[in-house]
Amino acid sequence: MYYGLSNFYQNHRRYVKSRDDSQLNGDRSALTSPSKECEPYRTGEGSPIAPCGAIANSLFNDTLQLYHIDSNGTFNEIPLVKKGIAWWTDKHVKFRNPGGNNNLTVAFQGTSKPVNWRKPVFELDPEDPENNGFINEDFIVWMRTAALPTFRKLYRIIQKKPSTTPTLPSGKYVLNVTYNYPVLSFDGRKRMILSTISWMGGKNPFLGIAYITVGSICFFLGVVLLIIHHKYDNRNNSADIPN
Amino acid sequence: MAYLKFQRSAIHSAVSSSAAHIGVGISGQEGMQAVLASDYSFAQFRYLRRLLLVHGRWSYFRMCNFLWYFFYKNFAFTLVHFWYGFFCGFSAQTVYDQWFITLFNIVYTSLPVLAMGLFDQDVSDQNSLHYPSLYKPGQQNLFFNKRQFFLCTLQGVSTSSLLFFIPYAAFSVMVKEDGSYISDQQVFAVTIATSLVIVVTVQIGLDTHYWTVVNHFFVWGSLIVYFAILFAMQSDGMFGIFTSSFPFVGTARNCLSEKSVWLVILLTSVVCVVPGMAVSFLRVELFPTLTDKVQTSSHRSAYAFSHQQGYGELITSGKNMKMSTASSTGSPGGTPQSSTWIENMLKRKNAVSCVSDEITGAPAKTD
Repeated sequence: MYYGLSNFYQNHRRYVKSRDDSQLNGDRSALTSPSKECEPYRTGEGSPIAPCGAIANSLFNDTLQLYHIDSNGTFNEIPLVKKGIAWWTDKHVKFRNPGGNNNLTVAFQGTSKPVNWRKPVFELDPEDPENNGFINEDFIVWMRTAALPTFRKLYRIIQKKPSTTPTLPSGKYVLNVTYNYPVLSFDGRKRMILSTISWMGGKNPFLGIAYITVGSICFFLGVVLLIIHHKYDNRNNSADIPN
Repeated sequence: MAYLKFQRSAIHSAVSSSAAHIGVGISGQEGMQAVLASDYSFAQFRYLRRLLLVHGRWSYFRMCNFLWYFFYKNFAFTLVHFWYGFFCGFSAQTVYDQWFITLFNIVYTSLPVLAMGLFDQDVSDQNSLHYPSLYKPGQQNLFFNKRQFFLCTLQGVSTSSLLFFIPYAAFSVMVKEDGSYISDQQVFAVTIATSLVIVVTVQIGLDTHYWTVVNHFFVWGSLIVYFAILFAMQSDGMFGIFTSSFPFVGTARNCLSEKSVWLVILLTSVVCVVPGMAVSFLRVELFPTLTDKVQTSSHRSAYAFSHQQGYGELITSGKNMKMSTASSTGSPGGTPQSSTWIENMLKRKNAVSCVSDEITGAPAKTD
């Protein structure tokens, strides 16, 4: 399950620079004095912000829940897995909590939460210490800035059911959105996307169409050039090379 | 670009050519003044022929090729940012990694073009001496002028647009094999950078007419060095030492192990290279220049060399039929008709030595 945003320029230069990778790697000194690149989201309420910067500040915080209405009319919640959505290298190398994964409240003492957040970073997922603080996977996915203004990011994974039971049986579904993230002010759009995946990723018609087109053009060009070569080569054989 | 100026002097001769303004002096019995004043000197006039026709010509050809390729690769590299500006709010966000921008011109693409500029030959030295009219493009400034520069710019711009828009269209909806996110800034950067390096390397491979061991080593070596540096810079080790300098940690591993990313790279490379190839092939077939004819003939056999003006003129002039001046309508020129066709035959047979005749001062005969 993906969430998509449109008209959201995560690739703007000032936005992309506005982060502190040392702080996100758990560096203590960077935690208490973040990099200048994070301005104006560097300090708030008199103390340094953790995590600092505009990228972290604009974290996507809507909650999506999917329910299937079965024949009895009961709402069955589809289980959504929130681990495994970020890259392994991001979660284990790039992002580290300062002072280990435990006692995050103590580790983040002296810092304040980003301006637009409701909860501080060590309360992103209090039940799971492997998903709390800087290594929260939603946070990591968001921090990997998109290349284009219309993008989709992985929100949750719906595990494929074993054997023959369909993962999402046909029928009526209800999507419950806890709407926290304002986009109307910049004429943005939000979407929820459900997709199956394969060795080529999700549904990507562009590559298929492009390959077929380019392949046919190359084949056609090959035939045409062969004819031209055959025709003009006979003429060139008798051409005089002027001395 | 060179044109020859001849100074006739009883004491010494000096030949000068423009563009580089090389002074050539020929040392002789009369003295060494010309040698002292020149950049290159040698002892006999006949060496001048090789200097001009072979090395001078090659030098012009290499310089033009080098310039053409250098402008092309830099246009292709830089103008991607122009196209990206439309999609990043014109904020001057770079498409590539900072390190790639630094190393592109210094490490990844410098050596192949250097090898091409030093070693390339369009025709062999024997053919250069055999066909002195191959020197004409240099005199006429044919290989690199405003038109050629415009064509080179056009190819650079179109390559840059393909390099940007094909990944742009592919990455709009692309995700990884396990479903996770891959359309991010860093993967986009690595994909376009890899496509760019492959495209310019293939382009120089196609442009090199004469491959030496050094060329092979530089071209393939640059490609290998690119991938080596890419994986080294985006490894965990470098990130551990210099955390804020290498924010691209993990990107190369994650994206270049995806089949869809390689499909995008392959598609981009093919689409960028094939039109140029097709156009140059058509140009050689439909509008062959003298260089192309010499190259194709040296590929085939000596068959083409045996073509020369036959005896048609002799027969049509009727000189072998009867010795009378009455049948003079077919013969060229006016006055001494009996020796005209003989002169023509001799001229054509001795065409190679015509240039040396000019150098030594004999009146120039042109057909």
